[in-house]
Amino acid sequence: MAEQRYLQRHHKQTRVTHAIFVISCIWLMISGLFVFVPQLSAAAGADVAQFMRVTHRIVGCIFILTPIISAIISPSGAKHFLGKYGYKWDADDKEWMKKFVPYMLGPKRVHMPDAKEVKSGQVVADGAIMVGALMMMISGLVLWLGGVFGASATFLSVARLLHDIFFLLLVVFVIAHIYLGAGIFQPYKRSLRTMWGDGKISESDALYHWGKWARQEIEEGRVYEDKK
Amino acid sequence: MTSHWEDMENADFILTCGSNNAENHPVSMKWVNRALDKGAKWIVVDPRYTRTAALADIYCPIRSGTDIAFYGGMINYIFENDRWQHEYCLNYTNLSYLINPDFSYDPETGLFSGWNEETKSYDQSTWGYQTDTETPWDTETTYAWVKGEGVPKFDTPVLKTPKKDPTLQDPNCVYQIMKKHYSRYTIDAVCNICGMDAETLEEVYDVYTQSGEPGKAGTILYALGQTQHHYGANNTRIMSVVQLLLGNIGVPGGGLNALRGEPNVQGCTDMCIMPADLPGYLHWPTSDGTPSLKAWCEHETYSDGYYTNKPKFMVSFLKSWFGENATFKNDYGYDWLPKVYKPGNWTSMRTFEHMAEGTMHGYFALGQNPAHSSGNTKSVRESLAHLDWLVCADLYMTETASFWNAPDMRDKAADIQTECYFLPVASIMEKPGTILNSGRLLQWRYEAVPPAEGTKTDLEIMDLLHKKVVELYKTEGGVCPEPILNQKWDYDIDGKVDFRAVAWELNGYRVKDNDFSKQKVDLLTNFTELAADGSTACAIWIYSGYYNNAEALMEPAEQPVARRGHEDPGNIRLYPNWAFSWPVNRRIIYNRASADMKGKPWNPDKVAVEWNGTEWIRNDVPDFAFQKANADGTNTPIEPNNKAFFMRWEQNACLFSTNGMKDMPLPEHYEPMESPVENLMNGSQNSPLIQFADDPSVKKGTKEDYPIVATTYSITEHWQTGQQTHSCPSLNESQPGQFIEISNELAAEKGIANGDTVRVWNNRGDIKMKAMVTHRLVPLTVNGETVHEVGMIHHWGWAHSFEQDDVTNDLTPNVGDPNSFIPEYKAFLVNIEKA
Amino acid sequence: MSEKAIYFDSSKCTACKGCQAACKCWNNLPTPYELNSAGTFTGTLQNPPDLQPNTRIIITFNEADNGKKYGVNWAFGRRACMHCTNPACVSVCPSGALYVDEETGLVTYDSSKCIGCQYCRSACPFDVPRHTNVGLTGDNIKINKCTGCVDRVKQGRKPACVSTCQPGALQFGDRDEMLAMAKERVEYLKGKGFADARVYGETEAGGTHVIYVLKYPLSQYELPENPQPSGFVDAFGILKPLTAAAAVATVAGLGISYATGVGYKRPTMRYDEANHDVVDAETGEVIKHIDREAGEL
Repeated sequence: MAEQRYLQRHHKQTRVTHAIFVISCIWLMISGLFVFVPQLSAAAGADVAQFMRVTHRIVGCIFILTPIISAIISPSGAKHFLGKYGYKWDADDKEWMKKFVPYMLGPKRVHMPDAKEVKSGQVVADGAIMVGALMMMISGLVLWLGGVFGASATFLSVARLLHDIFFLLLVVFVIAHIYLGAGIFQPYKRSLRTMWGDGKISESDALYHWGKWARQEIEEGRVYEDKK
Repeated sequence: MTSHWEDMENADFILTCGSNNAENHPVSMKWVNRALDKGAKWIVVDPRYTRTAALADIYCPIRSGTDIAFYGGMINYIFENDRWQHEYCLNYTNLSYLINPDFSYDPETGLFSGWNEETKSYDQSTWGYQTDTETPWDTETTYAWVKGEGVPKFDTPVLKTPKKDPTLQDPNCVYQIMKKHYSRYTIDAVCNICGMDAETLEEVYDVYTQSGEPGKAGTILYALGQTQHHYGANNTRIMSVVQLLLGNIGVPGGGLNALRGEPNVQGCTDMCIMPADLPGYLHWPTSDGTPSLKAWCEHETYSDGYYTNKPKFMVSFLKSWFGENATFKNDYGYDWLPKVYKPGNWTSMRTFEHMAEGTMHGYFALGQNPAHSSGNTKSVRESLAHLDWLVCADLYMTETASFWNAPDMRDKAADIQTECYFLPVASIMEKPGTILNSGRLLQWRYEAVPPAEGTKTDLEIMDLLHKKVVELYKTEGGVCPEPILNQKWDYDIDGKVDFRAVAWELNGYRVKDNDFSKQKVDLLTNFTELAADGSTACAIWIYSGYYNNAEALMEPAEQPVARRGHEDPGNIRLYPNWAFSWPVNRRIIYNRASADMKGKPWNPDKVAVEWNGTEWIRNDVPDFAFQKANADGTNTPIEPNNKAFFMRWEQNACLFSTNGMKDMPLPEHYEPMESPVENLMNGSQNSPLIQFADDPSVKKGTKEDYPIVATTYSITEHWQTGQQTHSCPSLNESQPGQFIEISNELAAEKGIANGDTVRVWNNRGDIKMKAMVTHRLVPLTVNGETVHEVGMIHHWGWAHSFEQDDVTNDLTPNVGDPNSFIPEYKAFLVNIEKA
Repeated sequence: MSEKAIYFDSSKCTACKGCQAACKCWNNLPTPYELNSAGTFTGTLQNPPDLQPNTRIIITFNEADNGKKYGVNWAFGRRACMHCTNPACVSVCPSGALYVDEETGLVTYDSSKCIGCQYCRSACPFDVPRHTNVGLTGDNIKINKCTGCVDRVKQGRKPACVSTCQPGALQFGDRDEMLAMAKERVEYLKGKGFADARVYGETEAGGTHVIYVLKYPLSQYELPENPQPSGFVDAFGILKPLTAAAAVATVAGLGISYATGVGYKRPTMRYDEANHDVVDAETGEVIKHIDREAGEL
């Protein structure tokens, strides 16, 4: 058997950006819970609650600034990032999306069509997280600074409602994202390495997940022998 | 106030005119609200619809400066509709007295008989009564004290009992004279002058004069809106006349009630703030009228009533002032008192003229800020620049202390040679002593905290100053040393001047063996113990009794002035065991008039005093002779009689004033110095005795140049010249910025919007402030023409640390009243435009 | 101690603002003091114009036509915390800082617990709570609103605003007594011709611990006709359990998914770029040929 080959799924900047974004997102969720769940801050005491509140703002800044700074550092990367999510779905992509739920509940029986660099389902899931994050950023800024600029109570309430709704959305999609991205779902084993390891993926796994993308990469010579 | 704050609760009718009592005397509303709860009717007459007006039952506008016309119309209404209180007026006032047949009044000229064009004053001989009988003093019995050893020798008075006509038919009786005089003040005439509509005016007259019914009480609440006119004293007097006609003086819930602004201004007045007064309203010696003690006693002592005792008050006062240096032989030091020629020349208004003329070189402003609070302040500031030295003692920097820093003087400040001193003083919380409110209630205040570092109390400043002057006289000599060196000045306790020692002096004591330095003082019970033979001393007779517990000389808390009892005999809010009100703890002055000729109260539910057939029930301290002391030490009750006003020699109240007022025996309407209309009542535009009108600094404006009537006032959020309230940021926040109230109509005419900055000016000044455009002010129709009035607040200046703005009094005139010498702040002319 | 209430009679209020100043003094609430900085003249006597981070109570002024030749219907109102029986601010407070004092029914707070989220303000039907230190840093934001001077009340004293009120417009006592007094007063005012006089606070917002006697129509006072906690409060309430349920459902669904995936295996694949074939790496079998010339990827 020939030596397994690998593809470069995510570059270092992408992985670093993602890592900072994820850590701050999780911290925002945890610290946010102290405002969202009164019992939690009551149990933890005022000092902890206050700490959580202040870090919610500081980390919120990091959360907002990370993608912006990353895009500034690499405008071509940002362009590519937007391009790979913003493609036109063909029949395969639509079929993939249709088969997604059955597949999740029967991966041994249900077989998925080949996908491009970003699966259609991924567009939906990641897109939800991205839209959710954006709405959290905007509503969060309003909640934070609205008072400074004399926003009305109703305006602040709307912002808060949005903040709560998109929190719900994020909870669902982030859990699902972790389930798949961390490879807890058996067919997705070894996925973690693409974002949290060296960014590589085996030729076999790449052909399975993103067949069209993997073949194009190999055709163009962007395939590597494993250094291990 | 002839009554007191709590007494407002007893009123059936309340008339607020010339005061804004809800805003500027918030505590009044505690009692007014209670009266309203019991069904009282409340009328507010004011040029502006104030927060007070907002709470009243009836509101009636009035053009500033026309109060005599308003009340003159009310007097006419009272006579026309028979609303006067017959038994009260016939017995307790001079309504039936006959006046000199030579008395006359001429509406063509606006002059009463006796006018002297050269001296610009009245010879009042024709204003007197026709005499019925003459009774000399009985110096064997009633007035035996005048023959006592040590009593100054003087020719005792003769009681000239006036002729009366109880039928009121004699054309020379006061009733007929008044009826004729005020018949000219018809509803239409009044509306033409004052500017309100007839319907509203009639409603006010109808409602308020219902208080003339026996058993009903009406009170009038007034303040500076009445007094600050060049005929302000007669504004006050015509209100007394109305109250007397309606039988409201002396009854619970009645009275003529001046709401004093400054917490201690009543005390200030008692303590001879006016150059014509000694403490306790004794008259200061004058060079032409009372050059000697004998002359003073003859001139001042009344032929009957309580003021027959005046020599006792005067001698006791002199004993207090000069101590053992005051003896029978030297007329108790009377000659050492300066004799004033025309005291009016030395009032605050004239003071600045003296500075400008160079006859006054130094000025000591103790808690006073005339560069902000006087009329025509621009001329005041210019006068101050003529001084050699100026001392200001105050809590905060004032406009007077920094007059050279006024916006219009800053640039030439280097040319001003006045040497200015500022003495920081302790506030009321930092010193003990008494405070006296409008109801003549003296209350003791304790020192809450010691004076701030570097400050001294007023008393200490005066004490050190006096001691230094005495020391300089002793070491270096000086002119006229006797008045200085002969003074008794022994108020030190433990080496420092002490408020308690001053309290002994004010209360009075027996002279024999007293020694302040050893705290050995035989205090008097009250002024009934005063004697004219030099055996007693008392610095202010009306306060006597407020600090009379000789067992506890050093303990204010053990003195009447510090009492805290809640008892309320008669349930009419007298609270006689709460502190001490002068005189002799009397709460309602003239309270004899609260009962009829038989001594039965007009209102049986509100008993101040009552004759029960054998003696007087006394819920309040009687203001009349209610008992006679017998030789054996017992007392015999005096049965009811008509002597209800025993501070007058007639022992009746004066509807017609025979000699009390300099300018008119019966109040007559004149226009303010600056007015938009001709005087419609008589041929004299201003009062013939208007003071100071010819001075060039007045710069009288015409209605052609300045068609808008302006008035000035205070608001509840700020206080006088603003030093205290502008030092409280939370009060600045509650009303930031000085404003002028303008009607919607005038604002539309001038293109001014609410909140705009406007320029307000006349010949005297030119200032800017914010416009408050409101429907609360409406144009009035005066003699068929529309007259606009604006209202300006006056609490801002350049000296405040936290809030600064222009000085409103730059616009007010410095003309004034011949009796009180108060300036005419309340009615003048301006023009206005959007800045 | 029984349920208490602050009573305010607008027909006795002289709008002197003594209550505003007394509140500031007792509660040590600061005011700007740089030259001419305490506020801006707004053309009205209502100052400050509304509640502020350091102003817990204001007197409101409103003028309406009185139908007469002179004067206006000048309504003096009081604007401060109403101390609701079921306070929305307490129900939304995430930190437990706001609470109802059980003895008196007054709505007060523990500043040290306040985390500055300002949800109380958005929940309040009267838009009362204000917050200090609202700024860019967001540090140390604290709620500031009327506490009913519960500190004084516990010592047997009246709230600072009440004890300074000279005309007797403000009173303090048992709620039922205040309510009875208010009803009696309204009857008195109606008898005087104030047809729109009414009690406010008996049932409004579930009953409040501030009872108002209003002399003029409600529209002349800065008070809502039918105060309801903001509709958002309900939405906020629903979202909490909904989020929890969604999280649980997601985890459960994924659990099932996980179970179905256990034991999943697939062949190792390789791509033969020369022939454009996807090949099973172990057997060498061509799984799929990619016709790249036809445009397949």
